Amino acid sequence: MSAADRIARALFGFYMVAFFLYLFAPLAIMGIATFNTSRFPTVTPWRGTTLQWFDALWSDSGMWQSLWTSFIVAFFVVITVLPIGTAAALVLTSLHARARSFMYAVMVSPLLTPGVVIGIATLVLWRQLGVGGGVFLIVVAQASFIICYVMLMITARLQRFDPTQEEAALGLGASKFMVFRRVLLPFLKPALIAAGFLAVLQSIENYNTTLFVRGFDTPLTVYIATKVRTGLTPAVNALALIMIAITVFGAIAYEIARRRGADGGGVAVQL
Amino acid sequence: MSHSVELDHVGVTFGTTRAVDDVSFTVEGGEFFSILGPSGCGKTTLLRVIAGFLNPTEGRILIGGQDMTPLGPNQRPTAMIFQSLALFPLMPVWENIAFGLEARGVSKAERRKKADELLKLIALEGYGDRMPGELSGGQRQRVAIARALAVEPQVLLLDEPLSALDLKLRQHMRAELRALQKRTGVTFIYITHDQSEALAMSDRVAVMSAGVVQQVGAPRELYDNPATPFVATFVGETNALSCTVKGIDNGIATVETAHGTLTGRAGDGLTGGVAAKLYVRPEALKPKGGANRLAATIERIDFEGAFALAHGVAEDGTPLVASIASTELASAPAIGEKSGFGFESTNAVVLPDV
Repeated sequence: MSAADRIARALFGFYMVAFFLYLFAPLAIMGIATFNTSRFPTVTPWRGTTLQWFDALWSDSGMWQSLWTSFIVAFFVVITVLPIGTAAALVLTSLHARARSFMYAVMVSPLLTPGVVIGIATLVLWRQLGVGGGVFLIVVAQASFIICYVMLMITARLQRFDPTQEEAALGLGASKFMVFRRVLLPFLKPALIAAGFLAVLQSIENYNTTLFVRGFDTPLTVYIATKVRTGLTPAVNALALIMIAITVFGAIAYEIARRRGADGGGVAVQL
Repeated sequence: MSHSVELDHVGVTFGTTRAVDDVSFTVEGGEFFSILGPSGCGKTTLLRVIAGFLNPTEGRILIGGQDMTPLGPNQRPTAMIFQSLALFPLMPVWENIAFGLEARGVSKAERRKKADELLKLIALEGYGDRMPGELSGGQRQRVAIARALAVEPQVLLLDEPLSALDLKLRQHMRAELRALQKRTGVTFIYITHDQSEALAMSDRVAVMSAGVVQQVGAPRELYDNPATPFVATFVGETNALSCTVKGIDNGIATVETAHGTLTGRAGDGLTGGVAAKLYVRPEALKPKGGANRLAATIERIDFEGAFALAHGVAEDGTPLVASIASTELASAPAIGEKSGFGFESTNAVVLPDV
């Protein structure tokens, strides 16, 4: 190996280490801080190792209440965005080139709009109609941009659909609805599952849009943000650590299921 | 008897492209009918029109005497086998085969029974619960056929279904398709660009070029009596000699060529004095005898197995090909040697240039 090769390899190794540090160091520090006795989420100074913050989390009823609110919002967001996002993707792929690029621009525009604007706009509109902030408006506001993600993911999958399958089904006497139910939907299933997961994550982690339309309901992100002002304890870290653990185990379980041969190929790539 | 298929002045235009131009022919019920042509000649477009995936710009399609033009593909008594097969990859084999029955509301037990029967027919018994991806190319092919036959179509449309298979398998599947067609009595309309496939399998063949049907006839008829220069050159190997027609007597044309005066059967529309070509098959050229004689210098001999093709050049530069049976190779002319070939007038056909 020449000297140049060795330098290149060393640089690459250094870059990889830096890259992963950048990604994971904050998470690691946040995780470690959970076990510090200190009243604030920090690793320095280390005042002693403890599990007390898991206890504190367990007894923080406000936290559980807000987590529940977040789950309810996420549930309704998912059942709203999957059908609408899929329908949008189907329309988009059936259009001709020029109409498609116009529709595409229209449909992804909520992604380019600042979340704050979406939140305020939603509130202003629905106020006119006599509907105030609350879970319903959170769902509406979040869905308006999460639909875009769903549409993009379903569109990506649809582009790999072999249209002769649809023709084959029609040629065998199937109705359009049967083609959708028996041929297209099973094909879209992996993308729908992935889009569903993404929608849940997007919904639970959203703060800036949610803040304006929440009314008197408090989802998790808003609750945590409030705590920052009133005094944040490592109980929040404990919650984050649990969520990370669930995510990691979920990803591992998914990967194992996928490798066992189910056709989920390509979903991870699309994410 | 299965339904006949009648094409009545069918034309298809895509934008400014004329894909199919005024095509009319009738496929008899129970016939194995091929549409033969080079890629891009409009044969697949024509098949899609028959299936109902494409509306013709003008003309009508009649199946069993009934006008199908306003009906969608799911309302026609046809089934199609696609070039890509288009099996449903997420359904087990038996559900694939029974898909058409499912669309007709047949009960699950009944569907399974019918699928198993068809699996037996295509010699894939016990494969019902496999997924299409677990089958070999030939097996998938047979599943596609079974899926189409399950709906008991009057007309089966096949779009080059064998093109993805290797030679041995293709020859095997040809025989199987042919036998299946005889057994079921279903009208087959088969698209191919492979002339040997069309000749070997079909009762009748329509030869297409540039959206136009050039000739419809039995394989022997196309081979022996091509109606147009395109058919003469596309179907089988041939030698084409430029000539001028001197006269026609009793169906035999006397023509003037660079090789002297030759005679051959006069094709349709041939008149005296016009520029024409004389077409003679390689196997009609014999080293000895024949009413007409040609001379050529042998350039190379390609051994093909059952026969060899001797490629030569006449004095005026016209390439000539003669086929020599393998058993007679010992007495074949040597490479570089000037050699004479003869043919009978009845084995040549003269067609006017277009």
